Amino acid sequence: MNSGLDPADPTLEAAFRSALLHQGLIAAGLFLLLWLLWGASRNWLRPGSAGHAPRAAEPAGRRVLRIGFGLLWVFDGILQAQPQMPGGLPSQVIQPTAQSSPRWVQDLVNVGGTIWSNHPITAAAASVWIQVGIGLWLLVAVRGWWSRGAGLASVAWGLMVWIWGESFGGIFAPGLSWLTGAPGAVLLYCVAGALIALPASAWRTPRTGRLLLAGAGVFFIGMAVLQAWPGRGYWQGTSGSLSAMVTTMSQTSQPRALSALVSAFGSFDTAHGFAVNLFVVIALAAIGAALLTGRPGLVRAAVLAAGVVCLADWVLVQDFGFFGGLGTDPNSMIPTILLLTAGYLALTRLPDAAAEPDEAVRPEGARAAIAATSLQAVTALAALGVIVIGAAPMAAASLNPTADPILAQAIAGYSPPLNSPASPFRLTDQDGRTVTLASLRGKVVLLTFLDPVCTTDCPLIAQEFKATAAMLGPQARQTELVAIVANPTYYGTQFTQAFDRQEGLNTVPGWLYLTGTLAQLRSAWQQYGITVGNLPAGAMSAHNDLAFVIDRSGVIKQEISADPGPGTGSTRSSFAALFAADVRQALSQP
Amino acid sequence: MTARARRPWRNWRWLMMAASVTGTSVLAGCSGGGSSAGSGGTAAPAPAGTASLATSMTTANGATWAIVAMGSSAAGANQFWELFTRAAASDQWELVTPPGVASNGGLVAAGGPASLGVAFRPSQGLTFSPLAVTSDAGKTWRTGLIDAPVASVPDALAVGAGAMLALLGDGTVEQGGTAGASWARLAAPGAIATSAAGGRCGVTSLTAVAYAPSGTPLAAASCARPGTVGIFARSGDTWQAAGPVLGGALAARQITVLRLTGTPAGDVALLRAGAGGDASLLAAWTSDGSRWTVSAPLAAEAGQVAASGTGSGGAAWVLLPDRSAYAVSGPGGPWRRLPSPPQGTATLAVGPGGAAEALATAGGNLTVYQLSPAGTWQKAQALTVPIQSGSSS
Repeated sequence: MNSGLDPADPTLEAAFRSALLHQGLIAAGLFLLLWLLWGASRNWLRPGSAGHAPRAAEPAGRRVLRIGFGLLWVFDGILQAQPQMPGGLPSQVIQPTAQSSPRWVQDLVNVGGTIWSNHPITAAAASVWIQVGIGLWLLVAVRGWWSRGAGLASVAWGLMVWIWGESFGGIFAPGLSWLTGAPGAVLLYCVAGALIALPASAWRTPRTGRLLLAGAGVFFIGMAVLQAWPGRGYWQGTSGSLSAMVTTMSQTSQPRALSALVSAFGSFDTAHGFAVNLFVVIALAAIGAALLTGRPGLVRAAVLAAGVVCLADWVLVQDFGFFGGLGTDPNSMIPTILLLTAGYLALTRLPDAAAEPDEAVRPEGARAAIAATSLQAVTALAALGVIVIGAAPMAAASLNPTADPILAQAIAGYSPPLNSPASPFRLTDQDGRTVTLASLRGKVVLLTFLDPVCTTDCPLIAQEFKATAAMLGPQARQTELVAIVANPTYYGTQFTQAFDRQEGLNTVPGWLYLTGTLAQLRSAWQQYGITVGNLPAGAMSAHNDLAFVIDRSGVIKQEISADPGPGTGSTRSSFAALFAADVRQALSQP
Repeated sequence: MTARARRPWRNWRWLMMAASVTGTSVLAGCSGGGSSAGSGGTAAPAPAGTASLATSMTTANGATWAIVAMGSSAAGANQFWELFTRAAASDQWELVTPPGVASNGGLVAAGGPASLGVAFRPSQGLTFSPLAVTSDAGKTWRTGLIDAPVASVPDALAVGAGAMLALLGDGTVEQGGTAGASWARLAAPGAIATSAAGGRCGVTSLTAVAYAPSGTPLAAASCARPGTVGIFARSGDTWQAAGPVLGGALAARQITVLRLTGTPAGDVALLRAGAGGDASLLAAWTSDGSRWTVSAPLAAEAGQVAASGTGSGGAAWVLLPDRSAYAVSGPGGPWRRLPSPPQGTATLAVGPGGAAEALATAGGNLTVYQLSPAGTWQKAQALTVPIQSGSSS
């Protein structure tokens, strides 16, 4: 059996690059088209210089959130374009993150993980374009409904990432800590998005800033209590929760100097775990209390102190969060700093109340509306288009429960088309009837070799054949799914029958499990290049896993490596999809 | 902002702070509890009423057979169960694991008048039990199957004259031909428990099958009712109590039949009386399936048995988790403590005259030690087993 799907598989990476390039060209074309249309309409309509009332400057706090989180989303989108994302995110990020959460969280996360695993290229590309699109939208849409819509998009996508990507930020798992990113970085993106989505009037009073800071204060105090709670491993250095986390982070692939720095802090925490946690608890509690006061002077000091603590944590504990080839974001500290800064600015720097509210300017008529449309609005529309470029294929793919054949191609490797006559055989099916290859003429034959007492790959391949029959639907009537026994010791019909019962193959139309004398079987193995032999010392019989697509006239059209490796449901369904596609291709030929 | 407007805000802040502390306390209680529970867990005890598959036995031709797990120390895809044999006239063991099936799930073997049957416990994607039968000391094997998984107990298979018995994982008892074919159900799951004899015993689970020397199918169980030994003989369409009657202090203790093995000298049972720190082990013998000889009790810490088996002349032995070993030479004999066998001993073998051997494993190496008359374990043989790591993953 092979080693299964490798996240760094070149087939997957090439397909991902190709998808990104393809969709990137569409996105660039969309921007160009909208800009050209906008320019042409401006020339055609020749809007006058009058008609634009002076607009209020965007509140400083809101601007910090919009630009800060816009840049973060774009950065996250770029991180999603890392080559290992399609194959690696479910198995190396999503599942391990969910593993320590309760069963219901794992089950919920598994739904999203399965969709990603089934359609890795589409899902990974969607994540890139949705996040880049939201980021660009936030950056270019400064005010009005366009801008507030970007905030709402940020909330919607952020919640999806928080639930399915971060398993609710780990809030239901043991070991939750502010130091390691609780309550999930993307939840902070959602908070920022919700604030950006507030009406302009909300930013004209200090109430928004005060509420934001009070909320942050409560959060910090809560995190201080959690950090101080005994028995959670944060008070101890050796074998403590923090030193273990830091040691793990330092082993991530990253610049050596950074690894050394993080490792050094890990050693420091191992030696002085109690003191480190005491500092963290006091700092969090003090910052939280100061934020709760709402007094600008104290709040300023708290925001500055929080900034320093956050940056220290970001570097020394969270290790920047985005190294290692599968980092999806810079974790929670930069978003925290942005939120606190925005809160402080919303409390202390209110916009000029005399300026005209931006929602008040409403051009009348379509012509006037087009003429009044700014380049920023057109760019925001293009950014929305970028989101659709990613989201639409993903939405369609998520309705398809069958995995993409690209997974099977990645695992099995490329199988060149063939055009050689299939070797004849004369064997006995599971019901004792004689079957020859010639008797199957007129049907496409999908042929493989299975060990009826195999414990690993043969049951998986049998399930792929079963799934192939289901995918072929009515075309299954023109197809024979055939397996020949591949075991020199256990090859009687009682074993093929038991295997059929085990795998539920009795009811699969066109299923034949063939056996014969050992001489007949050896002949078939030799003619199809199957090496079969018993291994010693309690190991199963060994054989290579191949599948052949034989057309209606008895000519081999494809030879496919059918070894799924230690597969998941996705890889298995992917092989079935590959088999079904090859059978359909053979059926389509005269 | 007016003072009136500020007051509720201040109150609200304190409320929020209190809520925050309370909320996170609950959160910490939940998550912290989970964490400490995870780190403070202990290994689960072995299921009651079961014995390890590591064993040895002697067949009618005087050959000794042993089953041990080898390969990776952790159970899983790189742990393989192996069958070794030593001919009556030889002092050398050889590897004779039947080929063609992965043995990761375990092997269960039973000797008959002229053959040895081996059932593979299924693992991973396999859900039935292939069979292998040899009549020439493991040189060649005939194949068969049981279309269900055999139970994970060392006496899940029994070979009689022209017939085989199998205890399945769901408690079914089946009988078939010696070729491992034509299986017919003798007892459906729960059938013995609901029989009159089973009801008097309060069967909790079936633990073994064997043929009585007369050829009558026997099934063994653990009983909830104190003092009752759950051994049942097939009689017509039902099952009758056939176990020994225990008296004295044993009558007040729950009895589990850990082993029930057919040997050339008759059937040998290994019983566990009681549980926990005051558990004891007893051997019982019958040569006709109805009259039993019971040994004196052997104090066994917590009643756990690391390996157990039979030898020639009705000998029986046990290896306890603390590496203490005991053997009894035959019906009515006393338990004698053997010198503590070498590190890594997976099973013992007791040959004619009570000669004991210890089979110790380390990865793919098997080392055989013989107990010298001086009471020390002497290295007698070393075998390298070609474990096929990775072949089942």
